[in-house]
Amino acid sequence: MAELFIQSAVRITSDQVWVNGEKVNITHEKESAWLTDIYRHLEIQYPKFFKMDNLCKAGFLASEFAMKGTNLEPSEEKRDWSVLLFNRSSSLDNDQNYQKTIADDSNYFPSPAVFVYTLSNIVTGEIAIRNKIMGESCSYIMEKFDETQLYENGLIGLAEGKGIHHLLIGWVEYLDDKCDVLLFHVSTEKDGSTICPWNIIGIKKYFI
Amino acid sequence: MDALVQELKEKVIQALNLEDMTPDDIDANAPLFGEGLGLDSIDALELIVLMERNYGIKLKNANEGKDIFKSIQVMADYISKNRTK
Repeated sequence: MAELFIQSAVRITSDQVWVNGEKVNITHEKESAWLTDIYRHLEIQYPKFFKMDNLCKAGFLASEFAMKGTNLEPSEEKRDWSVLLFNRSSSLDNDQNYQKTIADDSNYFPSPAVFVYTLSNIVTGEIAIRNKIMGESCSYIMEKFDETQLYENGLIGLAEGKGIHHLLIGWVEYLDDKCDVLLFHVSTEKDGSTICPWNIIGIKKYFI
Repeated sequence: MDALVQELKEKVIQALNLEDMTPDDIDANAPLFGEGLGLDSIDALELIVLMERNYGIKLKNANEGKDIFKSIQVMADYISKNRTK
């Protein structure tokens, strides 16, 4: 089996952002939401961000940090890239928001814009659309963050012969204002931006 | 009518999460879809909900939206003629 390499590791919690183990200083505006502060820090123009639910926002932001290290433009088609994400609570954070729009019979206005995010795999789609990632995109539910599962799925995702050389893989969890994200860019190619081999020790190191 | 146009701009910004926009950024006569605000099909459904929730207007046929949602001005004209609240 070919050796794989971690090209970048992005950790986002409810109050911190780390890229490749280095803390990113985000200016936190008292009035605004934490994920919006991170978006502003990135200095990108992607109005669709504001329409996303929190799970998608968290995954999207992590992918933006990861992709910054590649020097690839979002608009470039990426046929040998895949997205593979895991979390515990699926889209429950947004499911609860949607439920609020249908809870009261006298004020019953189901929101289409909220409804479209009531699936956890939408985050993989948002990342794929933004970056023109044409390979497989999947999301799975795991009881808790499990570095062994992550490692093994990385091996499967980048197995020889599948034509995939880059994988955005990680844990993207968001529930009740608690953000817990660890996203890796893993590649079959070792280059100047490689930070370490893809193995369990490497994964655990960045689960700060 | 000017007050309704202003109110509608504010409600559209809020309902469609157009966070980086202010009412002044929206040309009342500019197309809402395509080149104008660049809204999509989910936004169209959200506008239908907005009309019902705020003005008591229930569209019988979603295709009616094509004509009603041409611009903020056209929406305001339709609302002023058909509102029930």
